[in-house]
Amino acid sequence: MSLIATEITKRFRDVTAVDNLSFSVQRGSLFGFLGPNGAGKTTTMRVVLDIIRPDEGQVTWDGTPFHRLGRGFFGYLPEERGLYPKMRVVEHLEFLGRIHGLDKRKAHIETARWIERFDLGELRHKRIEELSKGNQQKVQTIGTMLHDPELLVLDEPFSGLDPVNTALLKEVLLEAHKRGKTIIFSSHRMDQVEEICEDIVLIDQGHLVLHGNLKQIKRSMGRQILRISLEGNEDFWYKIPGLELLASRADYQEFRLGENADPNSVLREAMQAGQVIRFELVEPSLDQIFVEKVGVGA
Amino acid sequence: MIPILVKREFTSRVKGAAYIITTILGIVVFVGSSFLPPLLQRLSESMTPSHIDLVIYEQPGESSILPYLEQVSVEREGFTVRSGSDLDEREAYRMVLDEGLSGLLLVDGPLYTLVSPDVSNVMLNDEIETILNLAVSRQNAVRLGLSAEDMASLFRRADLRVREVSPLGVDGEEVDSAAHTQAMVLAYFLLFMIYMALIMYGNMVASGVAEEKSSRIMEVMISTVKPLELMLGKIIGVGSLGLLQFLIWTGTGLLMNTIGASGALGMVLGVSEPLSTIPLDTVLWFGLYFVLGYFLYASIFAAAGALVSRVEEVSQVVSIIMMLIIVGFFGAYISFLNPNSTFAVAASLIPFTSPMVMFSRIVLGSPSVLEVLASVLILLASVLVGAWVSGKIYRIGVLMYGKRPTLRQVLTLVRG
Repeated sequence: MSLIATEITKRFRDVTAVDNLSFSVQRGSLFGFLGPNGAGKTTTMRVVLDIIRPDEGQVTWDGTPFHRLGRGFFGYLPEERGLYPKMRVVEHLEFLGRIHGLDKRKAHIETARWIERFDLGELRHKRIEELSKGNQQKVQTIGTMLHDPELLVLDEPFSGLDPVNTALLKEVLLEAHKRGKTIIFSSHRMDQVEEICEDIVLIDQGHLVLHGNLKQIKRSMGRQILRISLEGNEDFWYKIPGLELLASRADYQEFRLGENADPNSVLREAMQAGQVIRFELVEPSLDQIFVEKVGVGA
Repeated sequence: MIPILVKREFTSRVKGAAYIITTILGIVVFVGSSFLPPLLQRLSESMTPSHIDLVIYEQPGESSILPYLEQVSVEREGFTVRSGSDLDEREAYRMVLDEGLSGLLLVDGPLYTLVSPDVSNVMLNDEIETILNLAVSRQNAVRLGLSAEDMASLFRRADLRVREVSPLGVDGEEVDSAAHTQAMVLAYFLLFMIYMALIMYGNMVASGVAEEKSSRIMEVMISTVKPLELMLGKIIGVGSLGLLQFLIWTGTGLLMNTIGASGALGMVLGVSEPLSTIPLDTVLWFGLYFVLGYFLYASIFAAAGALVSRVEEVSQVVSIIMMLIIVGFFGAYISFLNPNSTFAVAASLIPFTSPMVMFSRIVLGSPSVLEVLASVLILLASVLVGAWVSGKIYRIGVLMYGKRPTLRQVLTLVRG
């Protein structure tokens, strides 16, 4: 374990934003940080990055408190994006590289390399305020990675990006992951988290709800989701106790299997109702886990 | 770290329209003011009446003022006088209007009334009053039997010289009153420079911080850079912009000063001597109090900027700080009259007023070494405390959006 957050509590006047929260992030992992709106994600990230001090608890990296790690150690993309509107793209990126500890030459080289990578060549001498929102976000995302930090903390990195740039960013993140960098990111899009994260933490109202390896979490939830597709009487399931329809898709129906329901008897009923094309027991999606644990949609 | 921040602050603003425009405007003022004195002179010449024609209408009495006015008209060019006593009043009015005379002077005992077609010409009225007084005092002299010499000695002014006695018992040098006036004008000019700089660049710091907050770059900055470093980078960056601007302006002033005898600074200082007469120690004291004063106020301005969410709100919070600066300015102004009064001594120790008051006192009077030392030390300590407190407010304020905190909440932040 590298990043260890121990019993963090942060109050703002009479609101407790984070309440006795502990979690850990393994070095080199792709870590999903989840929770509904107002769960305390941003506050926790700020505490991790030592932007605000917790009222109680501490965060360490290999035993070292975060404020002693040096400014080149992490890259941070806050949820509220912001750049100096009057600065030019190249100028701004070199400046961000410099304040994260790169020397002049290195900042120049890395800026040129990343501008190429993110296809911003034509905009290099434009002012930030002249750029579209999406391009501004690209510039800011580059700014968090320019100095090749050990730890990347990205708050909703994909929001506002088109599919092409989303794919590009995913690629870049996976590349950094391969080089052993630790990446923590939050997202509302559970499918994106599911696609790239190995470990997650789910918080709600400042409390820890779930924490651990995503596969293990899913397994522990049990194979309770049943997907059936058949030609014939699709309403056969009415009679079966413990079966709850979750969704009717174009080519299949999705059910939650109650504790007293037996998949084998469901299959027998289905076979009597018609020609079974698909009968599948699956793990719940992260989306479903989220809804179940937190009670509201992401 | 700080040099990188200073450089960004400097380069991003130095090319900005606002900065270039104020710099050019300042140059225009300096250059323009060197052409101003001859222009003003010509203007005032055109306004003084070139010729005064008076008609005197006297009530018959014991002694007439007319002979004395005639005496003055002989000595004074551009003044003629005639009697209108043989006319009736109505005819006298007619004459003034028809012949375009300056006015009709009605004399009734000690009461003089000027009837003029141009009553609002203050310069004309003043001139006539001077002439009339001259004539009246001559009339009185004759009545009292005084000779011309007696008159001259009656109006001779005393020649007062001022010499300072120092506590050590050594006689001070004689104070040259012309030099004192020059020192006063110089002190006033430099004082005004400090005042302007505090307000201009202080506001620039406050709105700069608010801009960083409203553009939301602050969170990225604060995750990388210590709040105090961020604040100092801003203060030094804006300060260096101000320094450059002042150097350009002073350079222009010097240049104009060397070119024309009635140079810009010469005009401002009321002297036509070159600027090199400004003593070096004055320049050094100016530098010291300027820098310390700027740091103290700029850090307060920065904290104020950190407390608002949008640039538009800046002017509301900085108004209190502006009041402090204005109080300092007027304190210094009052101290001019008596640089060693209790008020001046007290104001030169209080850090918010001392940059302006103590500097003025040094240029004008001679405060004791102990006073100067105390003032500098208190100011220096205040700069450090101010930076520390502002740094704390800044650290928390920069991430606070929405409703502006109350003063009590700010105090809790500082203590916590």
